Amino acid sequence: MAQAPTSPPKPASPTDRLARLRAELSAETSRAVAVMPLGHPVIDAHLPSGGLSLGPPHEIVPAEPIDAIAALAFALALCARRLAEAQGEAMIASSGHPLPYGHGLASLGLNPGRLLLLEAGGDGEVFRALEAALHANCLSALIGLVGEGMPLKAGRRLQLAAETGEPPLLLVLRQAGPGLPNGAATRWRVAAAPAGSDRFGGLHAPRWRVRLERCRNGRGGSWLVEWDSAANRLHLPERLADDAAAAGRARP
Amino acid sequence: MTRLQRAGLAPEEGPHAVAAIGSGGLRLVALDEQARALGLAVGELLGRVRARIGVPLRVHPAEPEAERDALHRLCRWAMRYAPIVAPFGPAEGCHGLAIDIAGASHLHGGEAALLDDLAGRLARSRIPARIALADTMGAAFALARSGRTSPALVPPGEHGAHLAPLPVEALRLDPEVAAGLRRLGLRRIADVEALPRSGLARRFGLAPLLRLDQAYGRRAEPLAPLDEARSFSAARGFLDPIGRQSDVIAAARALMEEIAPRLERAGLGACALRLSLHRVDGAVRTLEIGLSRPERSPERIAGLIALRLERLGAGLDAGFGFETADLAVTSAEPMAEKQASLGGSGAGERVANLADTIAQRIGRRLQRLAPRESHVPERAEGIVSWVAPPLPYPAILPARPLVLFARSEAAQDVFATAPDGPPHRFRWRAREYRVARAEGPERIAPEWWREQAEPRDYYRIECEAGRRLWLYRDGPHGQERPAAWFVHGMFP
Repeated sequence: MAQAPTSPPKPASPTDRLARLRAELSAETSRAVAVMPLGHPVIDAHLPSGGLSLGPPHEIVPAEPIDAIAALAFALALCARRLAEAQGEAMIASSGHPLPYGHGLASLGLNPGRLLLLEAGGDGEVFRALEAALHANCLSALIGLVGEGMPLKAGRRLQLAAETGEPPLLLVLRQAGPGLPNGAATRWRVAAAPAGSDRFGGLHAPRWRVRLERCRNGRGGSWLVEWDSAANRLHLPERLADDAAAAGRARP
Repeated sequence: MTRLQRAGLAPEEGPHAVAAIGSGGLRLVALDEQARALGLAVGELLGRVRARIGVPLRVHPAEPEAERDALHRLCRWAMRYAPIVAPFGPAEGCHGLAIDIAGASHLHGGEAALLDDLAGRLARSRIPARIALADTMGAAFALARSGRTSPALVPPGEHGAHLAPLPVEALRLDPEVAAGLRRLGLRRIADVEALPRSGLARRFGLAPLLRLDQAYGRRAEPLAPLDEARSFSAARGFLDPIGRQSDVIAAARALMEEIAPRLERAGLGACALRLSLHRVDGAVRTLEIGLSRPERSPERIAGLIALRLERLGAGLDAGFGFETADLAVTSAEPMAEKQASLGGSGAGERVANLADTIAQRIGRRLQRLAPRESHVPERAEGIVSWVAPPLPYPAILPARPLVLFARSEAAQDVFATAPDGPPHRFRWRAREYRVARAEGPERIAPEWWREQAEPRDYYRIECEAGRRLWLYRDGPHGQERPAAWFVHGMFP
């Protein structure tokens, strides 16, 4: 940095230097980080780079053990969003989690034919498989279903592997504990939320309450979101009469 | 007996014997040196032997399967000399093996050097053996079993002279036939050979003639080798035993480079490979490598072997090093000249590489979901290998759950307002659920040709907290039979 040609011969004022450094850093990050927008303008604006950064892992945690399905569904919904844009297949590496039921994936807008499954014997195997998949750089989305959170070492290895490719990497955790700091870029806590009925009395699209617990270079937040499987995007639910309280809690 | 000693199963002092059930009770089938010194013989009744000798005899039950396995292990070891190694069949007494060294002896410095090497290695491993090398399998067998010297080397064309003085039993005849020949005073092979053939055939059938012809080379005797002759294999010996992982990988790559052109000429690719590493002390380590699609690139194979070795870690146990490495294609399939140009999907090939990497590195296979022809939810889907082409799922109008439980779980304390309606509240997994909305019922009948079961009425239910479950009521219900409810899956 000291020999950089742009550095002036005599020291400038601290404010100028700060501004210049900021500009350089922001240019660097915007160059390096590829993102996948969630399609939800409020959340995308809230996230530091305008979406889920591709490369570092993102953790998805159920709010309660029974919400494991909601967490899995949230990950699969993001996967469906990715697959709608990209070619290729997605891999789900699972250790001990129930595997999705192919006939039910249509409700999330996901084609089961584009999913590859790996039933691993433990979290360590899941991380190694994900690492191999990142190195191979041939899949368009990766989901790891693990028990405990990601250890720091596994996180570091995944981060190194992710520098070669850029599929979104989602880790669904079974345990809803606080977790240790690791290389994950974001951590989402997902709970099922009451969905409205449509006007024919049938159940409406799935809704989840997602809380952004941890976000690198960003702030946390909490939203009530609805998954639109036809458009493959998250959106804010309409404020129905019976759900006014829930909708009102969502931060704009 | 040798198997027991090598496995450390007969550590105690004293004569040992192996007994198996024969005619009239347990009979001895194998003896150690001490037992032989006491005058015991194979085939005696165990009870009589026990009564005759004064010292306690340690008897082990015969284990034909373990003995066969031990013989096969020895055969695999013997493949270091030549690719065609046949274990002895029932006619030869199942205790031995034949190596077809035609065209292979010069690799070991000639026939005499090969015999010396073989005898020396067997002796160092404490495997008692009698070895003979002759033009025909029959002659070699007779010399090994009944000859005076071991190892015996018969120069080409001279086996007739060596066979003549041997006893007739050496011809691999049935005991009754051999005894019959002996009764007629025909003790040596030369006596039988001198007889007119038609008379011999009338008296004893064709078996003695067949064996005679085989021994003298008038009739070909194909060996039944342990493995089919492996046309795609390569072996390499090392002057200095290798033990380092990188050396093993380099050796495997060199062997594959040798095999690859042969595979290419045949238009084949390897689907499974076996790398056998012969340790200095005689143990053989084998690595089986499976591939998801035919492959013949040495780099790729070496990479997979590297991953496998990485997983094994210290499990490879090089000991004092490996002196021979042997790579064989155990399964091959047709493969196009250039895989990359097929279908134009470089991504597909990369996924195949990834599948192989994962298979070698963590020992798991990639899979995919596949629909099945059934309307019963738990049978409507299976898991197949990822190589299978993805099948389209039928459009089922009523939604199906995202996760289907392997076994449906009973819901307790179900309270329904209407007798045929959805439940109002219930208890499941030690929690109380209140139903906010319900959709249904969807009646799914069992497959009557498969099982005796009741039709189920499925409801899609949303609880007040927002969890969405798939419940069903099993069978008809009434006054005397309360409705039984089960949770079968969860919606997103």
